[in-house]
Amino acid sequence: MIAFGSAITKPEVYRSCAEVGIRRAAEPDSVIFDLPSVGSIFQSYNALLDEAAKHENLEALVLVHQDAEIVDVDFCRTVRQALSDPDVGVVGCVGAIDVRTIAWWEGSVALASFLHRYDEHGGGDLTAFSWAWNEAPPYARTGEVDTLDGFLLVLSPWTVRNIRFDESLGLLHGYDFDFCLQVREAGRKVMTADFRAIHSHSLHPFTDPEHWIEAHIKVAEKWDGRMPGVGTAAGSWEERALRAEAERDAARVLSYSDALLLAARVAELEAVLAETTESISWRMTAPLRWLSRLRPAASDRKPRVRARALASAEPRAGR
Amino acid sequence: MIAFGCAVSESEAYFRYAGPGIRRAAEPDSVIFPYAAVGTIGRSYNLLLEAAAAHDGLEALVIVHPHTELADPELCTKVRAALADPDVAVLGCAGASGVHNIAWWDGEVSCGAVTHRYVEHGGGELPGFAWTTTHPAPAEVDIVDGFLMVLSPWAVRNVRFDEGLVLGHGFDLDYCLQVRAAGRKVATADLCVIQHRSLKVVSDLELWVEAHIAVARKWDGRMPDHPAGAVDWRRRARRAEAEREAARALAYAKRLAADARLEELERALTETTGTVSWRVTTPLRKLNKWRRSRLEAHAGAGP
Repeated sequence: MIAFGSAITKPEVYRSCAEVGIRRAAEPDSVIFDLPSVGSIFQSYNALLDEAAKHENLEALVLVHQDAEIVDVDFCRTVRQALSDPDVGVVGCVGAIDVRTIAWWEGSVALASFLHRYDEHGGGDLTAFSWAWNEAPPYARTGEVDTLDGFLLVLSPWTVRNIRFDESLGLLHGYDFDFCLQVREAGRKVMTADFRAIHSHSLHPFTDPEHWIEAHIKVAEKWDGRMPGVGTAAGSWEERALRAEAERDAARVLSYSDALLLAARVAELEAVLAETTESISWRMTAPLRWLSRLRPAASDRKPRVRARALASAEPRAGR
Repeated sequence: MIAFGCAVSESEAYFRYAGPGIRRAAEPDSVIFPYAAVGTIGRSYNLLLEAAAAHDGLEALVIVHPHTELADPELCTKVRAALADPDVAVLGCAGASGVHNIAWWDGEVSCGAVTHRYVEHGGGELPGFAWTTTHPAPAEVDIVDGFLMVLSPWAVRNVRFDEGLVLGHGFDLDYCLQVRAAGRKVATADLCVIQHRSLKVVSDLELWVEAHIAVARKWDGRMPDHPAGAVDWRRRARRAEAEREAARALAYAKRLAADARLEELERALTETTGTVSWRVTTPLRKLNKWRRSRLEAHAGAGP
């Protein structure tokens, strides 16, 4: 039996995202743990693991963020195939190698089969690089990785019964990287498999970076010397500090340049738009547009974004 | 006498921006040193200092970057007023306090009437340092931006730019720190200045990172508001590495947000210009454009 679990803080988000995907992917005998969150994500996920572990016939536990929607109808088949190797401890659809910190995206990302849906600026979708194989870069592949993105994790029964999320690390950040490190330290594999999901969240990774920074430090201290590459870097502590401070400020500079570029480009587009809508011909033809608006709106006829996403949610040929 | 100096690394920029601005601000007795840039910025600026120091009547040396245009006809009056305090050794149109490294704009920025003029995206202008919060000048600060530095006679004769900082960034912070270490003040003044520069805050970030490290090494433990003493380098490194990756994640997210905002505007523009009414009236707009260009040609033809 493949079980599904979600820690819910916003029931409406769960209903519109995770629940839709779980219903699409689940089998008739699947057990669904849609439990309210019990504190940190570490604690909530451990509660889900405890529940799932009680089921003797457990084949896998799928942990889904409340804002993530599995899109594959043959998801369970893919999961069984990935877990057919008894050494596999955890599976996901986004993963990277040579990961050294909780910023796993700074590693060499090997698979990113998801679509990032956001609400800001009228809403939109950003497709990650292996959402569609025919558009994927040469480094896109399934296989063994160092870590997975935690928004969708598939745990083997062994993992459910033997590994726990480290509740000492904080509230949210770094739980996925630390969990994958534990699985690997125990001699099991972390793998990506060919399934996909839509992850609906803001364009901003965190509102307050302080919690993320604290988690970053805790995870680095915890794993320094225990897992090659993690928490270590070239140079003395002094050299590392000075370089990291410089590179931190460089990242901020890049952001400032982007802000200026955006301001310039917005000003340019707004000027063109204003010139257009203030022209005599635009004003002359206002009645035509008014008539046109009496017809059903285009947005009523075809929901642009969702149609596109779900059209590509059918089973696909893997690589 | 208030002197003006420029290390001319690009003649075109000097002719277009720095030169006209200096002529606008200078007084009849002002001496102007437009010297060819030589070696590092530190060496080029020290050459200007040597030239100015030779003038007994020197009241101030205004060092102008080639891309800086002085737009303030009252500049000399304002400089004299600010330098009336004998403790003030360096003045600028923008600067900051609470500065920890060459990214001085991450401190509390004080700014005069600075305009940032750019050529990208059809050209335009923004308020200076639009990416951060600014407070009005005047203010006592840790550093002033090297785009415009006004030095008192004491500074000209007693403090030199560090020619060992070879990477082109951080020379301004280093100079101001030297001045403050000597017990003098650094301040901003409400000067009207146009910065003609790219929208990129820093053109070569890798070089800038190395300069950041070099200046941090030189001033480690001696930065303003930084208590001297034993440093827990491990703790500092862990913190900085985490902050670096948070800054990168935020920068990436902001870029996504910017792209989304632009896509929204481009969509609005496409929807506007894609309407039947817009397409139907294309000949009218072409006719209008032709008519306007004819009128402009006539107006520009002269008597």
